[in-house]
Amino acid sequence: MGDTILQFENISKSFFGIHALRDVTFSLERGQLLGLIGENGAGKTTLMNILGGVIQADEGTMRMKGVEYRPRNPAEAAKAGVAFIHQELNLFTNLSIADNIFIDRFPRIGALPLINKKAMRSRTRELLSGVELEVSPDTLVERISPGERQLVEIAKALGFGAEIMIFDEPTTSLTARETEQLFKIIEQLRAGGKSIIYISHNLGNVLHLADEIVVVRDGAVAGTGDKSEYTIDKMVSQMVGRDIDQMYPARTAGPSDTVALEVKDLSQSGIVKGISFSLRKGEVAGLFGLMGSGRSELARIIFGLDPFERGSVKVGGAERKRYTPAESIEKKIAFVTENRREEGLLMEAPIFDNIALVAMPDYTRGLMMRFVEKKRIFGAVGDVAESMRIKTASLDRQLAKNLSGGNQQKTVIGKWLLSKPAVFIMDEPTRGIDVGAKYEIYNIINDLAAAGTGILFISSELEELMGGCDRILVMSNGQIQGCFEKGDFDQAKILHAAFKGHKKHGVA
Amino acid sequence: MSLASSKEGKDVGTRIGQGLGLARRLLLSENFVLYISILYFLGLWIFIPRIASAGNLGNISSNMWPLLTLAIGQMFVLIVGGIDLSQASIMGITSVVGGLVMTSRLDPTLFSKNILWGVIISENGGMLGGSPAAVPVGITAMLIVGVLIGMLNGIAVAKLRMPAFMVTLVSMMFFSGLAIYLTRSENIINLPRIYTAIGQEAFWRVPYSFFVAVALAAAAHIVLSRTLVGRWFYAVGQNVRASVISGVPAARVTIYAYIFSGFCAAVGSVLYSARLEAGRPTLGQNLLLDIIGAVVIGGISLYGGKGKVLWAVFGVLFFTLLSNSLNMLDLSFYTVDIVKGSIILLAALIDVVRTRLLAKGGAA
Amino acid sequence: MLEAKIDMKDVIKYVSMIVLVMVALGGCKKGGGPGEKPTGTEQITICFAFQDLETGFWIAAHKAITQTLKERGIKVLERNGNEDANRQLEQIKDAIAQGIDGVILIPQDGESAVTIVGVCNRAGVPIGVFNRPPTNRSNPTLAVVADNEKITEQAVAYMAEEARKKFEKTGKKVTPLIVCGDLGDRNAVARRQGFMNVIEKNHDIFNPVVEVASKWDASTCLANLEAGLQANPNVDLVFTSSDFLYPQVRAVLEPIGKWTKRGEDGHVILGGIDGDTEACRLMQEGYVDATGVQDLFFEAKVLMDALLEAVGAGQKAPEKWIDDPGFALTQGNIGERQADMWGCKLLGEK
Repeated sequence: MGDTILQFENISKSFFGIHALRDVTFSLERGQLLGLIGENGAGKTTLMNILGGVIQADEGTMRMKGVEYRPRNPAEAAKAGVAFIHQELNLFTNLSIADNIFIDRFPRIGALPLINKKAMRSRTRELLSGVELEVSPDTLVERISPGERQLVEIAKALGFGAEIMIFDEPTTSLTARETEQLFKIIEQLRAGGKSIIYISHNLGNVLHLADEIVVVRDGAVAGTGDKSEYTIDKMVSQMVGRDIDQMYPARTAGPSDTVALEVKDLSQSGIVKGISFSLRKGEVAGLFGLMGSGRSELARIIFGLDPFERGSVKVGGAERKRYTPAESIEKKIAFVTENRREEGLLMEAPIFDNIALVAMPDYTRGLMMRFVEKKRIFGAVGDVAESMRIKTASLDRQLAKNLSGGNQQKTVIGKWLLSKPAVFIMDEPTRGIDVGAKYEIYNIINDLAAAGTGILFISSELEELMGGCDRILVMSNGQIQGCFEKGDFDQAKILHAAFKGHKKHGVA
Repeated sequence: MSLASSKEGKDVGTRIGQGLGLARRLLLSENFVLYISILYFLGLWIFIPRIASAGNLGNISSNMWPLLTLAIGQMFVLIVGGIDLSQASIMGITSVVGGLVMTSRLDPTLFSKNILWGVIISENGGMLGGSPAAVPVGITAMLIVGVLIGMLNGIAVAKLRMPAFMVTLVSMMFFSGLAIYLTRSENIINLPRIYTAIGQEAFWRVPYSFFVAVALAAAAHIVLSRTLVGRWFYAVGQNVRASVISGVPAARVTIYAYIFSGFCAAVGSVLYSARLEAGRPTLGQNLLLDIIGAVVIGGISLYGGKGKVLWAVFGVLFFTLLSNSLNMLDLSFYTVDIVKGSIILLAALIDVVRTRLLAKGGAA
Repeated sequence: MLEAKIDMKDVIKYVSMIVLVMVALGGCKKGGGPGEKPTGTEQITICFAFQDLETGFWIAAHKAITQTLKERGIKVLERNGNEDANRQLEQIKDAIAQGIDGVILIPQDGESAVTIVGVCNRAGVPIGVFNRPPTNRSNPTLAVVADNEKITEQAVAYMAEEARKKFEKTGKKVTPLIVCGDLGDRNAVARRQGFMNVIEKNHDIFNPVVEVASKWDASTCLANLEAGLQANPNVDLVFTSSDFLYPQVRAVLEPIGKWTKRGEDGHVILGGIDGDTEACRLMQEGYVDATGVQDLFFEAKVLMDALLEAVGAGQKAPEKWIDDPGFALTQGNIGERQADMWGCKLLGEK
């Protein structure tokens, strides 16, 4: 603590006339960890992009160690000692760890154009031990887990002498153990004099790690202070601009008695075994488990994406015959996957195309050629977008890839809403989304349940399941290990069930 | 761009920004290629006034329409994320099929060793030589063959999951060889006058090939912009996994795209064969560069998911204009190909720049 | 992407473009009306459209034609169709639109020649076809053709005589092999026919003919010839449909000891047609027994004279078929006639 290593002074930035950042001022001390929090779209990413040289500020100055700092591109930022550990890691999965670390500065043998592999390997080993990663430098990145890849990124940053490190949502893909290890490394970095900006929606973690907290809202600094001045509630209310009494909205209706989805003895060797449960109309059933427990795989099997050997799935009392996605949709099952970028959205298409995708056949007429009834579907999509509060300037021009995580997820959910499903399977619907948007999604789930939809809510966040479900099923090692009703939610017991039979090492 | 904080810097910057803004608007405009074509044409006019002569414009026009039919077919396949290298050989085999049906006379010295001699062809011509039904049946046969080959390609790509490049390359070699085998390298002439008129004659000064190409383009445009399957083409090309999960029959959609490409190649074959007055097994052999070049210049992405009929039209327009001007400039053949290749490369680069500029407009 | 309403803007744009283009087409029904020529100038422009220059024959022909035209003060527009009939058609139509006085054409094949001649006739531009004649005479044209069949017969006749001598000495029939050209080329067909005629006439001394396809491509020839000799190792008479394939023949015969001079052991009776420098050299050295000769310089001169005459007389669609009788240069007459072969002439200049 002591000297200021980085200062933001009155930074402003606009895109197409809309302010993304307004007069942002704060500073980072050496050896300090600054928690930067805010809703998606608040401006955190824009600010970090300016710091990292990806874009330039319109007004204001940055200073590093007192000297004006204005990087024109990421290479200059890197040279100045700024390292960015992104949420989506920038590693080449088909190359080795050593190759990745030295990708832009391979050591040469003297003046010859040959790579000095020995030097590369030994230096890599040094860096890896610095982050306590015991893997060989020649290991291909595609072989190691997300947590290990992150450590490689950190090692790489340390390798070129970064002094300021920015972590953007680092724990999203990590297991609990890996998260602990990450925190240990961060501690070491701090002790070594590195200054860290830590961005995350996991407010608990931020509070745990940070020395100082900066809250950004609508492009401006909504509050800053020492860690001791903050509680989670205060963080949330500054982020959102209002008091949130509860994290989880109240349920308006309970489940009915009619069974919407019935799964019997579903098995696929190596993946799931003997899965049986029923989902009633209007019920929100949570499915909890650790990574690798088989929850997503189960969802995919139910929806018809993957095969199974034994068992059956009945929807609305009728047994299914062809297990394909198209047939699932016909039977009114909806599936929001855990991977919205790769499996949920057409990133290059506008919001409209995305929301309209599933239900479009219902909005056509004609015999040989199905002509799309543009007016009707545009109206329907508009209604859905409005009901979900997807904020956008133009439904048919704003591309999905330019939306915030929350809006993207709402788009995916909206797409299924349009087809009016009877059963809704959601896999990690609030992953990587800010507090405000999460609340909106919980509301949407509640509304859906109240309207009679049966919802299977898969999540790794026990709190949110406990806050909104009628029932929680626990899966571990491909089997259902426990079922807990609403009144009997007990965190310890649920976790215990989740660890039952859990394999020691998750697969990468 | 980081503007300097000084006032003078801002003024100059603004003015440059305004000028760049206009250029930037042009660059990002949807009709970019059209503007380039017009500019290029005007530029050429200054140096080669002859380029605007009625005769030359007529040439540009009559070269444009057959190429457009092929480009439209290729575009559909590109949109679903594939590529169709076999269009050239579909042209060859359908040209031969048409010829074998329609020809009114075959020279025995050339064709007597043919395996079909005595079976369906003879000295008096092909299957329907001389009959009034020759032309309609012949053309129908050509279209059917195009559709069938397209279906084969589509099934291999969609159901057997083979890479499009490989499938259509193999297809190209096989059907090209088959075409040459069926005719023993001979070209089939003596085709009915009605048929050759399609490629050569005009209706009130507008060539028949124009009507064919425009009808095809209009149909394609309607399919892509107004129908369900049109939407599905784009979805499959952009993200096939998300499409499948969303209930899109991705395999079927892909097959349709290849069928249409084969169909278009057959239509193009009708136009080119009619123009050359013969069923030629080698028809279209050197056209692949032109087809792919025209669609790339038009801005249709080789990665899939993007494309509009209008873009294909502009791309073909520019490419034909380019070819025509290179002919006029009296360059050696090799130089012509180098120039064409460089332009296509440049077009691809411009596309990358445009995409980046468009993306920067909406971050965070 | 899916527009919310019918985009009138785009439709109007599209339609207006079409109208523009149609207006622009005014005055050209068949694309390629004669361009406006500068009046009163003497400079004549001739478009010389050819197809690659793969063999010595074509290179020499190209040189002969372009040099002669340039010497006469004529502007030459060279267009290489690169073995694509469609491209050649477009090139000529473009040239006509540019305003030329005449066309000399080496077509890809006889059929496209018919079409192109038709185009020139309708545009009123006189055209002369060199060496590869149109398949039929439905469109009036100037053409110079060599009688490939007869010339080949003459060459092969000499080879057959040599074969007969061998037969009478050893009592064993001779195994003949012919390397055929691309049978899409009229000339290749005629040459093959000429060869077969002579073999037929002398069938008593010959085994069945081995046919090897070359498609006028050197690598194809090499591959097929190798296969052919593997299957028939006793071949002792080889005729190549074009002299440019001699290197390939040598590459296959030499390793098996059959590339020797006349009188030496293992000599295969060797013959070809065209008459290029390589053939001349090989004949002088004694490897080749006979070569059919198309009189290249004669053909070029005669065609150009006829074309320029037609241009001068303002004829729009001249018709004349000129025959190049050619001859066969053999080891029997090489002394007297060698100077008549264009390949030897060129060899002498080197």
